[in-house]
Amino acid sequence: MDAKDILGLPKNSFPTAQEKKPRPSKDSQRKPDGVSREVYALIGGMAPLMPSIEVSHLKKRPNSEKEKITWQWLPFTSSARTDSLQLYHWVRVVNGVPPTGDYSFAKYNKSVDVLRYTDEEYEKHLIDPMWSKEETDQLFDLCERFDLRFIVIADRFPSSRSVEELKSRYYSVTRSLLIARAPSASDVSGHPLVKEPYNMVHEIERKCALSAVLSQTKQQERRDAEILAEAKRIMESRMASKSAEDAEMPLNPTGNETEKATAPAESVSPSTNIHPSSSTAAPATATTESASTPASLRMLRVYLRTHVLDQMVQAASSTAGLRTIKRVDQTLQDLGVHVKPKVPTKAVCAEHLELRKEILTLLNLQKQLQNKEAEASANRDSSYAEAPSTPKRTYRGDVDRAFVPDSVGFGGERVGKRDHKRKASGRFIDAPPSPPQSKRPRKLKASD
Amino acid sequence: MPHTSPKKHAGEQQPDGNAGQKSQRSKAARVSDDAADKKTRRLKDVEISFPIVYGTISFWLGKKASEFNSHKWTVYVRSATNEDLSVIIKRAVFQLHPSFNNPTRVVESAPFELSESGWGEFEIAITLFFHNDVCDKQLDLYHQLKLYPEDDNGPQSTKKPVVVETYDEIVFSEPTEAFFLRVQNHPAAIVPRLPAGLNLLPPGPIEHVNEKKRGDTKDHPLSQWFMNFSEADELLKLAAARQQVQAHIVKLRRQLSMIDGLPQQSKAASGQ
Repeated sequence: MDAKDILGLPKNSFPTAQEKKPRPSKDSQRKPDGVSREVYALIGGMAPLMPSIEVSHLKKRPNSEKEKITWQWLPFTSSARTDSLQLYHWVRVVNGVPPTGDYSFAKYNKSVDVLRYTDEEYEKHLIDPMWSKEETDQLFDLCERFDLRFIVIADRFPSSRSVEELKSRYYSVTRSLLIARAPSASDVSGHPLVKEPYNMVHEIERKCALSAVLSQTKQQERRDAEILAEAKRIMESRMASKSAEDAEMPLNPTGNETEKATAPAESVSPSTNIHPSSSTAAPATATTESASTPASLRMLRVYLRTHVLDQMVQAASSTAGLRTIKRVDQTLQDLGVHVKPKVPTKAVCAEHLELRKEILTLLNLQKQLQNKEAEASANRDSSYAEAPSTPKRTYRGDVDRAFVPDSVGFGGERVGKRDHKRKASGRFIDAPPSPPQSKRPRKLKASD
Repeated sequence: MPHTSPKKHAGEQQPDGNAGQKSQRSKAARVSDDAADKKTRRLKDVEISFPIVYGTISFWLGKKASEFNSHKWTVYVRSATNEDLSVIIKRAVFQLHPSFNNPTRVVESAPFELSESGWGEFEIAITLFFHNDVCDKQLDLYHQLKLYPEDDNGPQSTKKPVVVETYDEIVFSEPTEAFFLRVQNHPAAIVPRLPAGLNLLPPGPIEHVNEKKRGDTKDHPLSQWFMNFSEADELLKLAAARQQVQAHIVKLRRQLSMIDGLPQQSKAASGQ
């Protein structure tokens, strides 16, 4: 059942505009076909959730019985062609009458009307110190030939011009022509080319930004997300402290609480005044107790080296949260190290374990630093108004500078990957100005 | 096992200072006690390990493949250096998929391997039983049989098998003296240097290993497919990674200590 049923319309006909008009009908209470009476009583005339179609409708063959459809291999011509080449294709023939008329795809052969200028017009309106008339002529010839496909045009263009330069020249010339030829400025003010002039600088910047985004590595993306989250956190804590100040409550625990919530894996609350030395005390004791094989395994008398490693890894990361453990694994992969050693000898296992612990320390320190920085910047901003001459400013800048190279991440192989990616995406986004030496030979080949 | 110099034997259980005193006391009883002692006395803080490799090699049968017999495969436990493992292993039990005839297969002598044919991949449980003097406990290994290559570039070849091997080490902690002596110079074993003051006799039965029938896998027909496991490569990689991480830690510590110089005053100022 559907709207048609409710309106009492015949099922097979598509409703026309007039039929769509809701008209009060006594038929609307009638039980539609295909719904049992009991079910209809239950839904009580409400529109059902599922459309119901009577089975007999589905079984009915479409009324194409009288039509005899064949497919034939027939010649055709296309009005889009200038050479009247005869090609063949399969055509659906109804009752032995082949379709007449133009090739159905011919209408898609659109061409652009490229404005042409006279010498006089060029002298008057179009002179540009960066472009000679010959070059401009060539550009317009190519624009006509390739229907403004600027990437192709740039490829065929005899001198090395970037896509943006070509576009800029074409659009500015066309725009000047339009304005010059129009009887009054208001006649062409609605023309898209007049209304929105091409902005080359903006276009170049846009493409650079796009290629930067597309060539971003996963790691950078994650870091960006982290920074945004951090910024949000700072904003929130600032808002909280502000509202607390408004409420005349100088000692405000809200900031600390949010920090703890965002860093559940941290063993040390970052906003307390504990020195880093005390936070490293816990890992230090862990090192000593896990230095040798766990007693539970030694009791077994025989075990596999990987069993020992698994247990020790577990013990070492027992204080860390699930997210931190995942980040350790991620870091291992970033460093090009197997998450589980392939050759777990005693020495390898020991090294692997040490590496894991160091990564944990590193992640802890990173977190501490982030929190401290956030705190420092929050403090600085709140106290900045009162004491503009505080030394924090200079000091902060220093940290920022030191932190940036650090946040670029590990490993040379990452950088290599990124470079590779950038190249690829550079090709994808229509050609950035390519060096002349690469363009010249190509051109020569084409003109051969 | 005969001993030639009892004085070398002194203090085998006491690495510390009172070794001399003990050897004085027990010198007389030594000769008769020794044999029994060695079977039971355990070496504390000593572990003997045997690098092993276990896995499967499977060949596609090509034209001869039928629906239920597409691959011929071999599952095995070998020494990582292809030495004879029967020095410790008494018996290996391979637990196959229950759809096989007699799915529990027992191999009583080296090489510890089993060949079968089939069409499906499944997990093989391998249980190792050791000689009485080695260990009375057994050890389980699990290996996922792999027949089909991971990357499906190109058709399967009957020439190139699918090889999956896992390196691991069987570790015996606190071995008995007798066991220690027996395998001390065995090429399959990694035996630690004993702590100072702990001196055992040079082992007697080294030659008897050589007399035994060949159980090593050095000339194994499949040996060309065995994988190499390089500890050095792994260590190099780890060392490089550790260096990077340590450098980062140093950097972060420096930044943190710089930050720490300041917040005290700012916190004091803001009253947090």
